Amino acid sequence: MEIFIGLIQESISGIALGSIYALIALGFTLIYKATEVVNFAQGELMMVGAYINFYFVTTFLAQSGEPTIGVFFLAFAGSIIFSFVFGWVLDWVINRPLKDEPIFSVIMATISLSIILRALVAIIAGPMSLIPYSPFGNRVLSLNGIIISALDLSIIFSAIVLVTIFYYFFNKTKWGIAMQATSEDPVAAQLMGIPVKRVYGLVWIFSALVATISGILLAPRMSLLDTSMGFLGLKAFPAAVLGGFGSIAGAIVGGIIMGVIETISMGTLSFHFKWIKEMNDIIVWIVLIAVLMVKPDGLFGEEKVKKV
Amino acid sequence: MKGRYEDENLSWIPLLIIGIFLIPFMLKEITFSYKYYLFVLNMAGVYIILTVGLDLLSGYTGLISLGHSSFLAIGAYTSAILVDQIGVPFILSLVISPLVVGVFGFLIGFPALRITGMYLGLTTMGFGFIVKRLIIALRVWTQGAGGLEVSPPMIFGYTFNSDWDNYFLIFTFAIIAVIVGRRIGKSKIGRAFMAIRDSEQAAEATGVHLAKYKMLAFFISGLFAGFAGALFAHTSHFISTDHFDILLSIYFIIMILVGGVSSIYGAVLGTLFIVLLDFLFVPELKDLIHRVLNIEGGDIQSLLFGLIMFLFIIFQPTGLYGMWIKIKIYWKLFPFNPKKRLI
Repeated sequence: MEIFIGLIQESISGIALGSIYALIALGFTLIYKATEVVNFAQGELMMVGAYINFYFVTTFLAQSGEPTIGVFFLAFAGSIIFSFVFGWVLDWVINRPLKDEPIFSVIMATISLSIILRALVAIIAGPMSLIPYSPFGNRVLSLNGIIISALDLSIIFSAIVLVTIFYYFFNKTKWGIAMQATSEDPVAAQLMGIPVKRVYGLVWIFSALVATISGILLAPRMSLLDTSMGFLGLKAFPAAVLGGFGSIAGAIVGGIIMGVIETISMGTLSFHFKWIKEMNDIIVWIVLIAVLMVKPDGLFGEEKVKKV
Repeated sequence: MKGRYEDENLSWIPLLIIGIFLIPFMLKEITFSYKYYLFVLNMAGVYIILTVGLDLLSGYTGLISLGHSSFLAIGAYTSAILVDQIGVPFILSLVISPLVVGVFGFLIGFPALRITGMYLGLTTMGFGFIVKRLIIALRVWTQGAGGLEVSPPMIFGYTFNSDWDNYFLIFTFAIIAVIVGRRIGKSKIGRAFMAIRDSEQAAEATGVHLAKYKMLAFFISGLFAGFAGALFAHTSHFISTDHFDILLSIYFIIMILVGGVSSIYGAVLGTLFIVLLDFLFVPELKDLIHRVLNIEGGDIQSLLFGLIMFLFIIFQPTGLYGMWIKIKIYWKLFPFNPKKRLI
């Protein structure tokens, strides 16, 4: 019975972590679908978002004196505005010069962007780790002996809201349908009068937005905020591959499955099997290699046919 | 002297080799701290052996590897364990360790038969993480994260103790590696690699055995990396998992990109450029930033390398070697240069 309760508790915590993976994966899946650029810097975008939010929170706290809902809300709004500008800048810096470059160059360019962002943040914010503020404190909910932290619940809730908004945006609004058309066939979209370049810009802004929100959500969950947070973004890639790279549903499902796998292996499994403890931090990569060996298209991916 | 290929002028190569072996003597004459420069050059020499192999894999065959530092790690640890704990002579370990790494390359080549591009980058990156973890887990032999002391290289009773000795050892092998790499690049195998890079379907249609040549690319690249690893372990006397992290793999890719992809000379140029920049320019820059702006430029090195790679990809995709070719053509045609850019 105790094991059972532990498993449920870990699953919920894992779903929260998986929601973060899903949001990161959603960010680069959007970009990949629209522009075929694989953005290895998504984790760093998240990190930048978390740092900016931390900066705003501390500034507003210094002015108001006490932590209220208003402070966190203002900081959130400030970070959102920043992410709009950031995404727009990234579109000019990364997307436009790299259109139609070979995949090797694109991968290395986004990796170099991730290195640059990590180094810049480390230089500007200083080498010390920061202690992020949490609007929920350490509050927990207890349900029949199952303990869930309020933070995890807020992450899951926000992820559901975000995904719903995105779903609505993509399928019901004019710009969303323009994005779908562009990812299907940019040339045809251009011929039909869709401003393809502006759509690309919008995609990058969206992706920066999702990254920032996931950074804000994730930061309080980690006890310390430092630049290694960017590496977490790398773990979202196995998650996306598990779900099927390039599919939005796959990104979400894969992310959640990966989060649950990681949390359970860190908790119950490590407790009962000593050898699993050795491979906690690489379990996502083992899953990745297994998926690529068995079913490279993932759970939801479409099989691609290559042309000469 | 003309080579096997008509366009290749080889007369400067013996001169260059003599020049390389004269460098330590010249450094000793010029500066007082020549030992530090020799240490830096030794580092570059080891990395050259690896990047030549990486260029054959990533540049010629177009298979991205973001886990090459783990190949280096396997080579280094294999050689250290073979020589120090089993008692195999160093010269024999120089043969066995590359073969071991080649087999690992073979293993990682299996998934590469089905996947390319970004997926392969991820797989090799994951392989890097797994190998690092594995080294820590096998602490009976590797002493875990604490690191391992390694004996200096010994060939036929002669022990290479100082950076001075190591320089001649490393650069002898580096020169051999470059020559072998170039021969492979120009041979039937190299042409098959390039055909695979340009179009897998077209290559297969013209009779290139895809599976065979992809595995071969990983195997050859593993051989080079294993060789570099064995030399690295014994000349630096101490190895730990911190030496072989994911950032190093990315630096290797930066080296071949900056030098110019799919040219062996490019890999050499890029490696020299990045390593010299890293050890000679970055400390000065850190000092300058500390004095002028009064902040700790802790991560200035990765910032600089990231920027360099980014600018090279966008403005000079052919790298340093491409630049050199451009200049050469410019002077060849002078003063009748066409107005538009040639390459």
